[in-house]
Amino acid sequence: MARSWYITTGVALLLGLSCAASAVERFPPPEFETGYELPSPTTPAPPHDAYEYVDAAVLLAALGVSSYLVLKMRSRRAIFALTVFSLLYFGFWRKGCVCPIGAIQNVVLSISDPSYAVPVVVALFFLLPLIFTLFFGRVFCAGVCPLGAIQDLVLLRPVSVPNWLENALRLLAYVYLGGAILFAATGSAFIICQYDPFVAFFRLSGNLNILVLGSSLLLISVFIGRPYCRFLCPYGVILRQLSRLSKWKVTITPDECVHCRLCEDSCPFGAIREPTADWSLRDYVIGKKRLAFLMVLLPVLILAGGWAGSKMKNVTARMHRTVRLAERVYLEDAGQAEGTTDASSAFRATGKPTEELYAEASDIRARLERGGWLFGGFVGLVIGLQLIGLSVRRQRTDYEADRASCLACGRCFEYCPKEHARRKNSRKMV
Amino acid sequence: MAKDEHALTRRHFLRDSVWGTCLAGLGALTGVLIGKFRRTDTVWQIDPYTCVACGNCATYCVLEESAVKCVHASAICGYCRICFGFFGPEPVDINEGAENQLCPTGAIKRKFVEDPYYEYTIDESLCIGCGKCVKGCNTFGNGSLFLQVRHDRCLNCNECSIAAACPSGAFKRVPADQPYLLKRVDHA
Amino acid sequence: MKSEHNDISPHNQAMHPWYDTAVATVIVSGAFSVVIFALLAANHFQRSVADAKREEQLENLKTTLRSQPDNQQLISQIRQLDLQIRQHRIRRHDFSRKGAYLLLASVVTFLVATKCAATFRKKLPEPQLQPDRRDEQFREAKYARWAVATGLVMLGFAALLLAFMPAIDFSAGGAAVASYPSDEEINKNWPSFRGPGGLGVSAYTNIPASWNGKTGEGILWKTELPLPGHNSPVVWGDRVFISGADPNNREVYCFDALSGTLLWTGAVGDPVSSGAEPIEVMEDTGYAAPTVVTDGRRVCAIFATGDIGCFDFKGNRVWIRSLGIPDSAYGYASSLAVYRNLVVVQYDQASAEDGKSKVIALDFFSGRTVWQTNRPVGGSWSSPIVAEIESKPQIITCGDPWVIAYDPANGAERWRVKCLSGDIAPSPIYAGGLILVVEPDYKLVAIRPQGRGDITDTAIAWSVEDIVPSICSPVSDGELIYLLTSDGLLCCHRLSDGTKLWEKELERNFLASPSIVGDRLYLLSEKGVMFILQVGVEYKELTRCELGEPCFASPAFGNGRIYIRATEHLYCIGK
Repeated sequence: MARSWYITTGVALLLGLSCAASAVERFPPPEFETGYELPSPTTPAPPHDAYEYVDAAVLLAALGVSSYLVLKMRSRRAIFALTVFSLLYFGFWRKGCVCPIGAIQNVVLSISDPSYAVPVVVALFFLLPLIFTLFFGRVFCAGVCPLGAIQDLVLLRPVSVPNWLENALRLLAYVYLGGAILFAATGSAFIICQYDPFVAFFRLSGNLNILVLGSSLLLISVFIGRPYCRFLCPYGVILRQLSRLSKWKVTITPDECVHCRLCEDSCPFGAIREPTADWSLRDYVIGKKRLAFLMVLLPVLILAGGWAGSKMKNVTARMHRTVRLAERVYLEDAGQAEGTTDASSAFRATGKPTEELYAEASDIRARLERGGWLFGGFVGLVIGLQLIGLSVRRQRTDYEADRASCLACGRCFEYCPKEHARRKNSRKMV
Repeated sequence: MAKDEHALTRRHFLRDSVWGTCLAGLGALTGVLIGKFRRTDTVWQIDPYTCVACGNCATYCVLEESAVKCVHASAICGYCRICFGFFGPEPVDINEGAENQLCPTGAIKRKFVEDPYYEYTIDESLCIGCGKCVKGCNTFGNGSLFLQVRHDRCLNCNECSIAAACPSGAFKRVPADQPYLLKRVDHA
Repeated sequence: MKSEHNDISPHNQAMHPWYDTAVATVIVSGAFSVVIFALLAANHFQRSVADAKREEQLENLKTTLRSQPDNQQLISQIRQLDLQIRQHRIRRHDFSRKGAYLLLASVVTFLVATKCAATFRKKLPEPQLQPDRRDEQFREAKYARWAVATGLVMLGFAALLLAFMPAIDFSAGGAAVASYPSDEEINKNWPSFRGPGGLGVSAYTNIPASWNGKTGEGILWKTELPLPGHNSPVVWGDRVFISGADPNNREVYCFDALSGTLLWTGAVGDPVSSGAEPIEVMEDTGYAAPTVVTDGRRVCAIFATGDIGCFDFKGNRVWIRSLGIPDSAYGYASSLAVYRNLVVVQYDQASAEDGKSKVIALDFFSGRTVWQTNRPVGGSWSSPIVAEIESKPQIITCGDPWVIAYDPANGAERWRVKCLSGDIAPSPIYAGGLILVVEPDYKLVAIRPQGRGDITDTAIAWSVEDIVPSICSPVSDGELIYLLTSDGLLCCHRLSDGTKLWEKELERNFLASPSIVGDRLYLLSEKGVMFILQVGVEYKELTRCELGEPCFASPAFGNGRIYIRATEHLYCIGK
């Protein structure tokens, strides 16, 4: 017993003495006498690549079906069924990742960073809904998007949001889009993914904070229809603009509007617009002056926004890990921080000079300054255009679905007597 | 009436041209992206030479049981009787008692091979990816234990939460057909 | 306007037959969901509270176990607790997963039932009369515009707030932020073995010249040292650092300079300590012979086992490394040196042919090896010094047979001189433009540190063969150089040409190296008696002060204070 003890320690000492201070192999690999074979680490492969193409195909099919159901078949029940399918497939089965909303970041990053290439499927996820929206309106939102689906399916008692609040809250979505693009383009963070409120439900596990956020949003969704879609979704912002131009659009009535007003309160998302009243001459005069003022204000807003955005660079830069690290290292060197963090000690262990780190951080700040101009200018532009849009005279004679806001859910169809007539006729024909 | 018709056509023309521009824009974007398409998808992986075994892998994964596990490169291992990845600081005795072990879940198994060598293997179902054994092995041993993302568990999120929290920036995107960065014997 | 009256009008009594079932399902599934949710939340909080407490308890038990390693009951208690923790973890994980599925199912049921109930109770729309919508529409548009404007203002405020928050300016910082002390600061303190530059010279003029350890007169404080060692105290500001070790423990101590209270103890250990046999070192050397070093922000200590650890001034261990067990015949004893943010370790081992010796520079902040250079020398027990020669810093090292100077920036050799042999214990000094090295029992050599490469033939200014120390390092005031042998022979040589001016038998044993304070020479005998002499071309003793305890380590000098390590206590002489 004692002898083996001494042998072991002797061997350990010899081994210990025979190595350099920081060499990897402090203890040389043993030579076995009993024919022992070294096991090698296992390497389970990631799930098969081809599966992702199935996803893209399902997405294409779902978009096609959604377009058909919304524009041709006009059946709320069918759209509902498709929504449930999308929630189950894209949501719980595919765990909600990669989604078109997040794909914005991948596309932006691949444009700004030459070393990053976006995978085919992610690009398809980004482009397909956009193309379908250009043709058919927001059919993606209707029955395909899993985030929209989960909100839509918990909507039990819709409360209408006053128009002014809706317009104000929508600004958040634009800011979110701008921020997401800014941070993705500078390689700082994928904030859409980081703050996705519903993906934790799809995975059935996640960070407590995200679960709380998601639950709160879902609770709100019980009463206020699709709050994320209307006020936060950055992809929805793009879809709004494309939907305004779509070749075909969602109509409440299948043929002509008889102004029965039964559909007025039928939209839980506040997307139905009533016919506009006539303007008096005085209204025109005031309106023109207001419009002229807002037109002049627009470039001012863009410039002011851009300036403010660029000035925020020191704070926005902190989203990037390198800048956070540089700040921490700086504080430690200056004696203004207690102790070290894992990150700062890991950095010092690499031996990279701090000047290089500071230079990198300054570089990132400069990029965020340039990006800040674009981001702030974009927000200024959006606000200016929104104000102008609220001042321009619209002329509507019928009850219409607002092309940008309509989520093509089909709830309004059955409120229309013309629709009932059409369904009765089609049943008769069958 | 005629003016209205003109206005209608003008507006339609305007809208159609913007529509066309948008479609063309999407087409151009597709073109740009095609030029940069990758044949294979990417997955996340840890560079074991950059990893500092901070312990974030166990807590930041979106899955309750982290997709990161410890892996053992036996070719580098010294098969020491006193393994610095197995035994905690100041073990009472050199046996497999819980009071002596470093691993909080007992995921490292110690087996006698021949005198004076012991084999150490990781039971993945128990490993939580905390990296304590990795730290011990790297500081005082050969560094044959290291953390890796296990792709039969990883969801391959677009933005890996662990990657965002990694203090040394050890998380990288690697091509899906070569999804592991294993430690090798001949690495300098 | 209204379409057909049908059965589902709210005024009609007949309800859909399934309505009641739907409502019942709503209530039941709703209640069930709430219960499951509460259970899941409780499960989650249990994990973060109860489990965390259990883990803390386990840690405490393990700590207790270290002090009672044979307590079998404690061991089985720990194993039980460990098993319990693991079982709970698995159970919780299981519960979360199953609970999540259950919650999902019950929430879905709740939603479906509610939707059904709502459908069964659906009301027809009843639009009110409204003649002209113009006012309403204009008002809505106006409110909307103002709401957007308010949004603009709020975003604007937020943006301005973020824009003008104070931020770190990287370009300004750089040079101004020093992570190492200035030369002024170094000279005011005693940061390493034999003080600034390793010369054993203190610039203070108010150092006490009389005290009595037995009566306590002149002794400011005296504190017991927990573990023994032969290393000298190191002083920075109001902190005194020293290390101690026994075969199993290696510790760094921090004392308050004014009161002598032990502020903190830092342990430097590695997993081998309890498991294997401790290494053997000569009793005369001990495990803590090398003196610690500080840069005013951290203190670093190395021990005979090759373990080196670094602590901040609050006692937190910043890093710890093992440089490998040194193959040193008498036990590793080279003290650490510091240059800017580098800790310099002279790691001489075995004999020159074995090629194991090297000099290593570690980053004080992180412990990372910045550079290391192999040395063509055998084991040595002298410490390196950093000297500013012709305004360039050089690390001077003594070994058998070479005296080598290194460039601190990259560890490259600047020059080397072959003039030593045997067991080199006295450290070199830089005085009067010369590097002075001692070959024990044989000679004192003065080297002119100019040139590159092997300058043995040209650089030796003079060499005196005489009875020279085997342990104590020399000390000089720039004109005279003093040598002290362990038997008590004190010799004084002229620095410029090496001629011996006088020698004196002190009839005492000395292990501590001599120091010069102002114009006085301080010699600390093995029995703890400090001989204070006048520096000069003649022997002139001023006084002797007794401490009353044996002393093996060289003293450290502070502002009006002397710090002496005796075998059991650390003394501070002063007012």
